[in-house]
Amino acid sequence: MSNREIPKGLRDLLPSEVKKMRSIENKAARLFQSYGYEEVITPTFEYLEVVENGAGGNIRQELFLFMDREGGILSLRPEITVSIARLAATHLQDACFPQRLYYQANVFRHVQPHLAQYREFWQLGIELLGASGVKADAEVITIAVQALQDIGLDNFKLSLNQIGIFNSLLDDSGINIEDRSLIRSLVERKDLVELSQVLEGMTIDDGLKETIAALPILHGGMEVLNRIPYVEKNPNAATAVNDLIQIYDVLKVSGVQDKIVLDMGVLRGLDYYTGIVFEGYSPDLGYGLLGGGRYDNLMGKFGFPCPATGFSLGMERLALVLKDQHSEVQHYLLGGSNFQAVVDKAQKLREEGNIVEMDVLGSSREDLEQIVLERENCVLIYLD
Amino acid sequence: MQKDYLTIALSKGTLLKPTLKLLQEAMLPVEGIEPDSRNMVFNYENAAIKYIMCRPTDVPTYVEQGAADLGIVGKDVIVEQGKDVFEMADLKFGYCRFVVAVPAEMKEISLKELNYKRVATKFPTVAENFFRSQGLQVEIIKLHGNVELAPIMGISDTIVDIVSTGRTLRENNLVELVKIMDSTTRLIANRVSYRTRYERIQPMIETMQKIVKGGS
Repeated sequence: MSNREIPKGLRDLLPSEVKKMRSIENKAARLFQSYGYEEVITPTFEYLEVVENGAGGNIRQELFLFMDREGGILSLRPEITVSIARLAATHLQDACFPQRLYYQANVFRHVQPHLAQYREFWQLGIELLGASGVKADAEVITIAVQALQDIGLDNFKLSLNQIGIFNSLLDDSGINIEDRSLIRSLVERKDLVELSQVLEGMTIDDGLKETIAALPILHGGMEVLNRIPYVEKNPNAATAVNDLIQIYDVLKVSGVQDKIVLDMGVLRGLDYYTGIVFEGYSPDLGYGLLGGGRYDNLMGKFGFPCPATGFSLGMERLALVLKDQHSEVQHYLLGGSNFQAVVDKAQKLREEGNIVEMDVLGSSREDLEQIVLERENCVLIYLD
Repeated sequence: MQKDYLTIALSKGTLLKPTLKLLQEAMLPVEGIEPDSRNMVFNYENAAIKYIMCRPTDVPTYVEQGAADLGIVGKDVIVEQGKDVFEMADLKFGYCRFVVAVPAEMKEISLKELNYKRVATKFPTVAENFFRSQGLQVEIIKLHGNVELAPIMGISDTIVDIVSTGRTLRENNLVELVKIMDSTTRLIANRVSYRTRYERIQPMIETMQKIVKGGS
């Protein structure tokens, strides 16, 4: 029946799914608030210029675009960080910094839908605006780790990198912008075969070639940093490496270093990242759970230069790896012939914090017993 | 995704024999896998390895979704499907190449003259991307096999297909006009598996790379 179809890549969320999502949201929000983050809400759609100005031009094929009647081209938001940068540049220029903001919002991308990838999905995230330095990065990463733990996930790792290592190595090579973005996408996609072919055909220093070729497979503890010797020749790359060493020390203080691995192949898809970047993975799901990093140049694009860092996590993906959690609240079904007694009893139980459903159909005790049998975690009270 | 087993998706068909040879050289278990077996899953408890037997075109899907941690499949399949998987090593066997081929009587034609012509292929993505990169527009006719038949029966002017020796083309009176790209078998990995199971996967990749280098 075609009048019941919904557009490709969208879905309805039924009570059990919504319950899980709200529980994730609440736990995360409580954590964010405890660090002093405050919630903001941005519009569901923005001007295309805003989205492209922030996220870069190559995102356009993933956008849902439409026009308003004044002739403006609008885009459903594909993510929230750009909108928050715009919001801060509009409203917060005179505010006291650093600013700590969080959001929970649905975002829209025109992608091929598959498991854990819908065209409308929900993100939770934080942005720490107006703070540079590794302590700010470490705060955001610590919150990311704690958020996953609070939500009930044990088995996960955060892959950490400093994008400056890769960028300054490429600066050294003197290759043109097209080749740069090609190499970047090959390292990011870990297409080692094509990467080695492309590098072979380039006239750049052999040591540099080897280092770039090794980046995608450098993964592990801090010892990984000893395996990129070329970096010492490049002061900017050395600074970036130093960033990683420092942040690791700060993360040790917060006690989350066990969850961190270095991964020189993490570059993040969006163009706006400038420093520390990270992604979160669970072995129970073939797709990433969260991602984030430092984006010091983004707010400048909206006329308000300001260092910033943050992360967002995908709610649907988290829901997929989370075991079902039963709520502790007792659930009653209440029936009986004396309606006044039923109402009074229901009110009393509700005041005690229970969930009470009243029979509104005048059903017999036998009918209600049948209903309770078919439901989980529900107790019948029948007042004669 | 299995917790303990490392799952590898293998391509059934012509790639299976060289694949098994490589696995054996890499000290991975292969006992009992027969190319014509109907079994789809092979478990090796001691080695904690599980193989799943797939149609080659399904291998990237199993790996992308994380049902398999690793996969062995031709570049031709990977490039056509554009799945989000890591491409870890060139295994060098199973060589073939994508070509544009035309009926022998058109062999003097230039690529530019194929603008607005009809192209029959099993690989619509590869074909479309290639012609677009040349600034040409063509009508793609998607077929599922025996693409050589299309120009003979007049439903297309030209074809895009993979060839290894070129014999099938010759037998059907077709000639290669342009090579689009080479293809060999690749070892692919799931994005997350590679990171969460790095300690098992990376040494395996390095072993295979060494074998391939030594053998060629």
